[in-house]
Formats: sequence, C-alpha cells, structure tokens
Amino acid sequence: MVNPSLLIGLPLAFAFSIPLFGLISKKIEKYIPIIALFINMVISFMLIPQILKKPIVVSIGGWSPPFCINLVVGPLGILLATLISGIGFLVSIYAVSYIKEEPTEKYHILFLLLMVGAIGIVLTGDIFNLFVFFEILCISSYALVAYYKDKEGTEAAMKYLIQGSVGSSFILIGVALLYGFFGTLNMADIASRITSANPTYLFITLAFLITGFGIEAAIFPLNAWLPDAHSSAPSSISAILSGIAIKTGVYGVARMVYTIFNANSILLFIAFLGLLTLLIGEMCAFRQDDIKRLLAYSSIGQIGLIIFALGIATSLGVFASLFQIVSHALAKALLFLAAGYMIYRVGSKSIASLNGLGKKMPLTSFAFTIGSFSLIGLPPFAGFVSKLSIVYAAMQVKKPVFLAFIAIALIATIIEAGYFFKIVQNLYFKEGKNLDKITESSGYILIPIAILAILIIVIGVHPQFITGLLKASARELLERAGYIGWVLGGT
Amino acid sequence: MRTRKIISIIILLILAGGFILTFSQIPFGKDKINVAHYYISKGIEETGAVNIVTSVVLNYRGFDTLGEVTVLFIAAIGLGAVLFTEKRVQKHASKSKDDKTKKASLILRTGSNLLFPLILLFGAYIFVHGHLTPGGGFQGGAVIASGFLLMYLAFPKQSINKKSLSVVESLSGLIFVGIGLFGLIFSGYFLSNFLPKGIPNTLFSAGIIPIIYIAVGFKVGFELTSVIDDLLGRGK
Repeated sequence: MVNPSLLIGLPLAFAFSIPLFGLISKKIEKYIPIIALFINMVISFMLIPQILKKPIVVSIGGWSPPFCINLVVGPLGILLATLISGIGFLVSIYAVSYIKEEPTEKYHILFLLLMVGAIGIVLTGDIFNLFVFFEILCISSYALVAYYKDKEGTEAAMKYLIQGSVGSSFILIGVALLYGFFGTLNMADIASRITSANPTYLFITLAFLITGFGIEAAIFPLNAWLPDAHSSAPSSISAILSGIAIKTGVYGVARMVYTIFNANSILLFIAFLGLLTLLIGEMCAFRQDDIKRLLAYSSIGQIGLIIFALGIATSLGVFASLFQIVSHALAKALLFLAAGYMIYRVGSKSIASLNGLGKKMPLTSFAFTIGSFSLIGLPPFAGFVSKLSIVYAAMQVKKPVFLAFIAIALIATIIEAGYFFKIVQNLYFKEGKNLDKITESSGYILIPIAILAILIIVIGVHPQFITGLLKASARELLERAGYIGWVLGGT
Repeated sequence: MRTRKIISIIILLILAGGFILTFSQIPFGKDKINVAHYYISKGIEETGAVNIVTSVVLNYRGFDTLGEVTVLFIAAIGLGAVLFTEKRVQKHASKSKDDKTKKASLILRTGSNLLFPLILLFGAYIFVHGHLTPGGGFQGGAVIASGFLLMYLAFPKQSINKKSLSVVESLSGLIFVGIGLFGLIFSGYFLSNFLPKGIPNTLFSAGIIPIIYIAVGFKVGFELTSVIDDLLGRGK
C-alpha cells in the first residue's frame, strides 16, 4: 500500500531541494515541479480504487487519532488531491517555457509549495493543521501574484495580502474558539462533541470560520481582492489560483458546515449567498474589456454557482456542486493558459486585441473555444453535465424558493453565454490588426492546453468516469457519522 | 467618508462583541481538556523529551511544525522573489567612493566582533537543548539571526554569501522531511520517533527531536538572516 502522507511529504522534499539542484545546473529546476506533481498524480490515481472501498486514516507520528495529527483520505480528499496534482502537473509543463523572468528558481519553489498547501488542506483531518496548510497556500500565492514586480501586480498582491491575512486571522480565531470549547483539534473529535456546546456561541464560531474561508473562496461580499490578483499574476498562476486555490476555500466552507458543525439551518442562507455571488460575478464579467479580468470575474460567478449547489444540501445537490468544481477547474485552467499565451503573443490584455487570432493560432483558439463553451454549459462538454445536474438538483427539492433561485441562475448563465460568445466570435470572424508575425504556440504550451481540452470533452461525453467518485464524495460530506467513525473507530 | 467610518466602527463593535461574548464562555486554564491532559501525563514517557512543549511541538504535532517551517521558508523566498533586482545596482554602488553608508564606530565594531561568537554559541545552546530546557529551534534560530543582524549593522559594506545561505536552508529543510520519510520507512508512520529514546534529562535522549531541532535552528537562523539581507537591499 502507498502511504498517503507521501502526497504531502514528497513534493515538500522536492521543493526544499530545488536550490540544491540549482547548484548542479540552472536548467534542472524547472523540471522538478513536473516530476514531483507527476509522482503525486500517479500515487493519487493508485489510491482511488482502494479508498472507494475503505477510506484511509493515516496518523502522523504513530499515535492514536485524537492525540496526533492525522490525514483523513476519504473520497472527497482523494478527488480534490487528484484534481490538484493533475492540474498542477499540466500547469508546471506550461511554466517550463512560459516563465522566463528571473528569479525562476524562486518561482518554481513557490509554485510547488502552493501545491503542497492545497493538497494538505484537502487531506488533513486536524483543524489547526488545516490552518497551517491554508497559510502555506495563501502566503505563496501572495508572493506569486507580485512575481512580475510591476505596479499592477504589486498593488494586487498587497490587496490580496491584507484581505487574505484578515481571513486567516478569522480562521485562527475560529480554531481557537473550537479548541476552547472542546479541548481538541481533531475534526472528527470536534464533530462528535459539537452538540455539547451552546448553539449561540457555536454560531459565532461558525461565522468566523465561514468568513475566513469565504475570503479565499471569494464569496460575495468578500471578493474584492480576486479580480486584481487573478488578472495581474502570471497566467500560469492565474490558472492555479482560479482553478485550485479558490476551490480550497469552498472545501473549507463545506467541511465546516457539513462535517464539523452540521449546520443545516444556515444552508439556505449559503445558497442565497452563492446566488448573489453568481449574479454579481457574471454581471461584472460582462462589462470587462480586459480578458484576464473577465475570466477572473467569471470565476467569481462560477464559485457562486458551486456554493449555491452546495446549499441545496441533497445528495444530488452536493454531487452537482462537486462536479461543477471539477469542470470549472479544468475549463478555467484551460482558459487562463490559452488566454495567457495569446496575450504573450499579441502583447496586450484587451479583448479587442485578440480579434482574428482564430486563423493565426488555430489550436490555441480552438481550445479556448472548448473551455468557454464548457463554462457556458453547452453539450458535449463537461460543463453541460455539471450545470444540468445543478438545475436538476434544484428542481428536485420541490421548494418554490429554489425554483426562483434556479431561474435567476439560468439568467446568469445567459449573461455568461453573452460575453463568451462575443469573444469567440471576435476570435474567428473579426479582422485583426498587425497579426502578420503571430504564430501558433510552441510544444510546452500546447501539450497542457490540449490535454485539458481533451479531458473536458471526455468527461462531457462519458461522465460515468468520475461520477462514482463524486457520489462517494457527496456521501462523505452528508453522512458525518461515517466520517467520525473512520477516524475515531466505532459506529 | 464620515458614514463610512461610522459603518466600519459599528462593524468592528459587533465583531468585538461576538468575540468577547464567546471567549468569556470558555473556562480557560481548567483541567478539562483531555488531549492536553494526556500530553502532560504521558509525554515524557512516550517521547523521552523532558520539555513537554517540545514533545507536543515536535512529536505529537510535528507535522504542524514542518508546516510552520515551510511557511517561514515561503516568507523568505517570497520576499527574495518580490525584492529581486537583476541589475545588481547596489553592489556596485557600495564599492564606489560616493557611498553614503558611514562606517560604524570603533566601539560598535569591536563590541560586535566580541559578541558575535557568543551570540552564535547561545543560539546553538538553545536549540541543542530544546528537548531539555525552555526554547528550541525557532528561538535559537532567531537568536542566531540577531547575531548576524548585529554584524550587518557594524559592517554595513560586507554581506554574507547568499549561495551558502540557501544551501544551508535547503539542506536543513531536507533533513526535517527526510527524517519524516525515514520514520515512514522504519516504523510505518510519517515523522514517527524511530530512534531510541534514551534516558530522560540527558543530552542524547528523545530520539529524533534533537536532530529536528538542530535542523530547524539552522534553517530559521539562516532564513531570517537572508530576510535581513533582502530588506537591507544588498541584492544578490
């Protein structure tokens, strides 16, 4: 059996060793993240069948669970860990030829550590450890947003740093309160004792935690940092921030609300917040003329949709929400990578400058089209299946309020379709200026883009490849007694 | 502008209210916390470290410490990435004659020369004895970095070799993770204490704890030094 703690330990060791490889030759360093994340991807794929049979609980240090830190590798954890290592692997291939500005060594270290943070968040079973990994993720992304050292990036990173630190301190306060109430930091242990505390104070604690994770997840009204940070970071980092980092915030919210607090009463409010985020994100995206800002606002909208589906709280709703996480991660990573290279070739971020690129960069433009169609929810792409399940889940609840909600969500989808169709139309049917010298992307850029596009189509045509894992993950969130039982034994 | 201030004050008051209300409910300091109780009663026997804080930080919750070391590493690397300058202007400037940094006074230079080895020795003492006396790798590392800060102040024109700094940082980080992986190989658990625990209260006791603390001490000391170096604008 492969031990899941390798999923965190190995990339960490690789990240620490990058400066040493740098002593041998400066050319090696950019291949280290590829190797590390490839190994991670293979390990997590190998673990999937085993975990579907029986979740693995690993204790770190060899003590029994409430007394040590433990990893809880259930279906949800391994689903997200696989997604993170997979997308991280593809983006690190992209970065080989995309990242040219010095200090590249520091870029690759920070990138790999960002991945370690994200994987740690989804695998750990200890709430303070979750906070530590959250800090690893956040601090490395602050530095990477400012990587180009231009005015725009530095300002965005500063904004992100201030708001992110407020979020982190809220999480820390929440963790401290939980430790004060229950005297334990193990998530399963806290979950099993949650009924013994006064509900009012628990509500305040939950409010601190949701606000903290909500800032990273960019739930309205906590989303002010995102458009700046995601649009001024290097495109490979934008892809990771939009594809992976904000999802860890969503994971945090879901874990707190479902597993630890069992807070069914606030789910309707969560669904409402999600809807609000969706509408505001899509409406802002419609007005942008900078392609990366548009994609960033569209991420806010998509997060809204994910949070909305999470608030439906039926097994189908949570399933649809997780499906949307997967399809959005693939599509948004693809869009940022493709757009990033188009921007690199034309030298401008404005949407108008992309006119006519469809003929000059046919493969990249085609992949961009696939990504945007998947986000809108057109068949036969992955986004179609996930959006359809969200609609279906909302209809199934049979409450009039959810029917109204889903009607609003569909309006937001129409807005989304509006701006993506406009871009795709401009790519293919408008004449561009000064495009003579522009050529197709090179190999290291095209490989990850092509793989992402193929994945979107394959999942769209054969969703049964992942539905089993998604259903088991939804069950993990909804059946908290099961989660407690894995860790503490019994039940 | 004014309404904005009033609104933010109201929000802060609500926050503080919720905060105080909830914290006042928690009976801090009472012996009701069973996890903490376990550490106090079993800690020395199970880990071999007389300093209970160390036994929790490096053994029961060693994974968190690995994470915190990583956070510090990221902070140092991130600062280096953000403040990176390719032109190396500063290096040339410091050699030229119209340099504005003054030479430190004779008293400061002599005093620093005298104190520097003692500070290093004290820092090393703190992290080597982390499992026996209060303190440990982080504290010892910070003391070491303060020694380097003193040298930077006394000799503004010299700077430490960055390459060796980053080699030490990487090596000590690798040792920490490596011990974790060895634990996985020898006893099946990441970061488990696979070495003999020895007799409590002696220097060679508590298994992997002193080794990790020595690595942490080096890592923290050199990372903080490189942060100081970056902030002083010495370039690369």
